[in-house]
Amino acid sequence: MAEDLVLDTAIRDWVLVPLSVVMVLIGVLRYFVSKLMRSHQAPDLKVVKEGQVILRARNLRAASGFIPAKSFRSRKTYFTNEENGLLHVPKGQSQNAQAQMFSDPNLAMDMMKKNLSMIIPQTLTFAWVNFFFSGFVAAKIPFPLTQRFRGMLQNGIDLSTVDVSYVSSRSWYFLNLFGLRGLFSLILGEENAMDDTQRMMQMSGFGFDPSRSLSAEKDGIDIIQHDWALPKMEKRAEDALKKLLK
Amino acid sequence: MVWEGDRGASGGAEDDLPIFNAENLQSNVKSIYYSRTFLSIIGGVIAGIWGFTGFTGFIFYFLVMAAASFGLATQAKFSVCTYFDSWNRIFLDGIFGGLMSFVLFWTFAYDIVHIF
Repeated sequence: MAEDLVLDTAIRDWVLVPLSVVMVLIGVLRYFVSKLMRSHQAPDLKVVKEGQVILRARNLRAASGFIPAKSFRSRKTYFTNEENGLLHVPKGQSQNAQAQMFSDPNLAMDMMKKNLSMIIPQTLTFAWVNFFFSGFVAAKIPFPLTQRFRGMLQNGIDLSTVDVSYVSSRSWYFLNLFGLRGLFSLILGEENAMDDTQRMMQMSGFGFDPSRSLSAEKDGIDIIQHDWALPKMEKRAEDALKKLLK
Repeated sequence: MVWEGDRGASGGAEDDLPIFNAENLQSNVKSIYYSRTFLSIIGGVIAGIWGFTGFTGFIFYFLVMAAASFGLATQAKFSVCTYFDSWNRIFLDGIFGGLMSFVLFWTFAYDIVHIF
């Protein structure tokens, strides 16, 4: 059936626009609430030290081309030396750190707060949409979809002959959920777009296990080939000057 | 090399050892992201008002993205190494992120103008 349904203007006024406005406002609210609720825990000295060691090791890896071979080697042994090298963690210690990290009450509270602040508004809004805005056609999506999407998109509508392009408000909610991410990143400044998927990934990769990252850095330094770039710099400077003088 | 929002991310033309100023590079990538997001929203509204349906709409979106890429390449004076670390940044980055915003605003504008 390709006929065009004519929908009531009231639907546009009272469903589409309010739903979008509410979702934008909830996003903004959540941004500010998370800013306010961010608890400042005093950073643990050991963790900070290890983080800085890792940063130094990374800098060494990245800038290895700028120092002569001998100094690179001496730095390398400083880091990866078996007895007292900074990156070398004896086997016994490596497991404790992870267990300690997860049972630490502050961190657990932080994670829970972040999770909750993300999940609760979404759940509430979804329940609200289902309760108030179900059972009628809300919008028409401008591109055709196959019949399989019918169950997903036309949730409250029980007529099977209506074109799949006519969707219920639940699918308008989901469309808003994904589409407003870009808008949030524009109006809320850089990082706090509503990127829930990214946050979930951060949560799962959270096990900031220092010993594992230390040994990863150690392997990285071990592998690297030293390639001193400075002798070439004189040639490059000469070329650049020649170009300028032409 | 300073030009409005973009900042030169690497010093000098190089073929062996690219050196990048991470902060400038990140700021450049962010400005690309913002411009793409903004353009996808505007493009969505335009596509809805003009009444594109189906594939035409998606083709319009990719046209807009291609125009944006072309504009960015022109502003970067076609030398990718001064501002970014690879061609992919200019051409491919952020295209699919903007797609969802485009579809949302396309649906919105189309419905408001044509259905209601």
